[in-house]
Amino acid sequence: MNRSRHRNWNRVDAASLARWIVLTAFLALAGLSYVYLTLQLYHLGDRKKALENDLASLRTQNDVASVQIAALTSRSALQRRLKEGYLKMIPISEHNIVRLTMPAPPNGEDAIQPVANQPAGR
Amino acid sequence: MKWNSRIRCALACLAFTAVFSGFSFRLIYLQMIKHDEYAGLAAEKHVYKQIIYAERGAIFDANNEVLAHNVPVETVVADATHLNNLDAIVDLVGDELKISARELAAKLRGDRRYIVIKREVPKALAAVLREKLRARNLRGIYFEHDATRIYPNGSMLCHVIGFTDFDHRGIQGVEASMEEYLHGQDGYRYIEHNCAGQEIVLYRGQERAPRNGYQVHLTVDLNLQNIVENEIDSAMREYTPQKATIILMRPQTGEILAMANRPNFDLNLRADAKPEQMKNRAIIDMMEPGSTFKIVTAAAALNERTVRPDSMIFCENGVWNFGGSALHDHRPFGELSVQDILVKSSNIGAAKLACSVGEQKFYEYIRRFGFGERTGIELPGEISGLIRPPQSWSKISITRIPMGHEIGVTPLQMTVAMAAIANGGKLITPRMVKSITSDDGKTLSSLSPVVLRQAISPQTARQIGDALRGVVSDRGTAAAAAVPGFTIAGKTGTAQKVDPKGGYEKGKYVVSFSGYLPADHPEFVGLVVLDDAHTNKPELNYGGLVAGPIFSRVAEQAARYLDLQPHEEIRKALPVERVALTNVPPR
Repeated sequence: MNRSRHRNWNRVDAASLARWIVLTAFLALAGLSYVYLTLQLYHLGDRKKALENDLASLRTQNDVASVQIAALTSRSALQRRLKEGYLKMIPISEHNIVRLTMPAPPNGEDAIQPVANQPAGR
Repeated sequence: MKWNSRIRCALACLAFTAVFSGFSFRLIYLQMIKHDEYAGLAAEKHVYKQIIYAERGAIFDANNEVLAHNVPVETVVADATHLNNLDAIVDLVGDELKISARELAAKLRGDRRYIVIKREVPKALAAVLREKLRARNLRGIYFEHDATRIYPNGSMLCHVIGFTDFDHRGIQGVEASMEEYLHGQDGYRYIEHNCAGQEIVLYRGQERAPRNGYQVHLTVDLNLQNIVENEIDSAMREYTPQKATIILMRPQTGEILAMANRPNFDLNLRADAKPEQMKNRAIIDMMEPGSTFKIVTAAAALNERTVRPDSMIFCENGVWNFGGSALHDHRPFGELSVQDILVKSSNIGAAKLACSVGEQKFYEYIRRFGFGERTGIELPGEISGLIRPPQSWSKISITRIPMGHEIGVTPLQMTVAMAAIANGGKLITPRMVKSITSDDGKTLSSLSPVVLRQAISPQTARQIGDALRGVVSDRGTAAAAAVPGFTIAGKTGTAQKVDPKGGYEKGKYVVSFSGYLPADHPEFVGLVVLDDAHTNKPELNYGGLVAGPIFSRVAEQAARYLDLQPHEEIRKALPVERVALTNVPPR
């Protein structure tokens, strides 16, 4: 009786099953990885876009700041502030001006001009 | 029966084969033959060409001070088909952008789909508006990237810098002449959008980076320009002329160090400026130069060796009848040397010098000094002046042209001619642009001086220079142009204004002074021109008395700024004020 029952049972081919399980798992993993990596690509794309926007925003802020600096330090702005009394200029007195010796004029237009490097006091 | 089932089976197979063959052929037709067409149609739906805007190059002075650059702004636009709550949008946008609600509503209710609401909106304000629109879920308002040109110095150097139009194309000044360098090249990128209108970065296509415009460095020194602007402003207050021009130029290189004109305008408020204010009179205004032109006459005679500097010319005691017309001097002169003809500014003497050269030769010298042709400066709209060939001269032209009448020259041409005297006879092309650099500071082009021709010999130039020193002395016509501590060479000019209806306008003069400093080794050449200056007394309306002192003040400050060493021997020169009162120079 027992012998005949044993004979009717389906035998499981463990090795084959394992192969199929591994293959299925591999395919599932590959599929999931593909989906995960694709999503990552989208995510990185969004981050790239956000960084580009940040960079553009920083450039814009930099440009605006440069314009403000140029406007505030321009000659016209400084003169206006001088007139308004926010700035004060003290004229340099004659005895505080040190004039360097003028180099001799060159003989020709293309002549090489010597460097004035004689030590002072000699 | 058996036969029938086989036939049916075969027919079914045939039908299937035919159907699938049809599908296959259709697939091949769509995928291969019509691929490009349908791919293009699909791309039109999803792929957009995004423009990456290039920045316009900045303009700098010789010391790298910013003269013109850009500030990013946004243009607020509306798509009329996307507006979801017009009243709320009108209230919000009108309030934020300071536009009247009625005006905005009329704009948005118009027939057009694409509506520009406001240009040049600051980025910060645009960001606030964008957030408010998003918070209230209002759609149909969009923001387009733009940039506007900013000129930090306002009206200073306005005619030289020029300005741009709405499309950021230069339309005047250096902005126009250097357009091909200043204007960058926009880049692009092909992108795809998702259903929410957001870019899918993964599907970015072909891309080209923008090339920003090059930066242009001018030869103008803003410190010298400031000196010139202050002096021209005080001259406008003192003499209220119709127009005025001052130019400073380095004679050896042709570099323009300063150039100012009046009337002028604020570059940042150019929409309010009148056309008369926008003219760069240094290059587009024609004037009769008057006696300053006598340097050309004397140079021609000396260079042709028809006379020597010490040759004596009889000046007819003040009146010379020539060709049936009388030529007058402002004061009777007997015998004058060639040098003294310049020092005393004798019209008759100058006319006789021109006669000694002859019409054709004299005309050649006028052209040699660059009159009648554009100087070639890097500014748009320059005119060539008006010099008639000898065939068109009248009998008396040979006596009128030598004293600067019957010809039309620009102030810049006159400056260049004086620079040729200062530069040993070499005629140099004036230059406004020093170099062109990329936005990372790499020099792409550095312009060097261009010697057009040797207009006169160095010896003749020296002889004229010696005579011109006498002009700025108590013997000459421009003692008031003297700068204590320096020797100056120069020439005054007082020409009656030409009446557009014909003849000359009575009591109206164009007064000028052109000179250089120091006379031995000139560092700069200057020209001051005032058109129809008003003086307390008409007899004081002379180049030497009006333009001379202005030149003196400009030259003194410029010499100090350039750290020129004064000459000790003339350090204690007569004060300018006293000289001006004790000498009444002739015209």
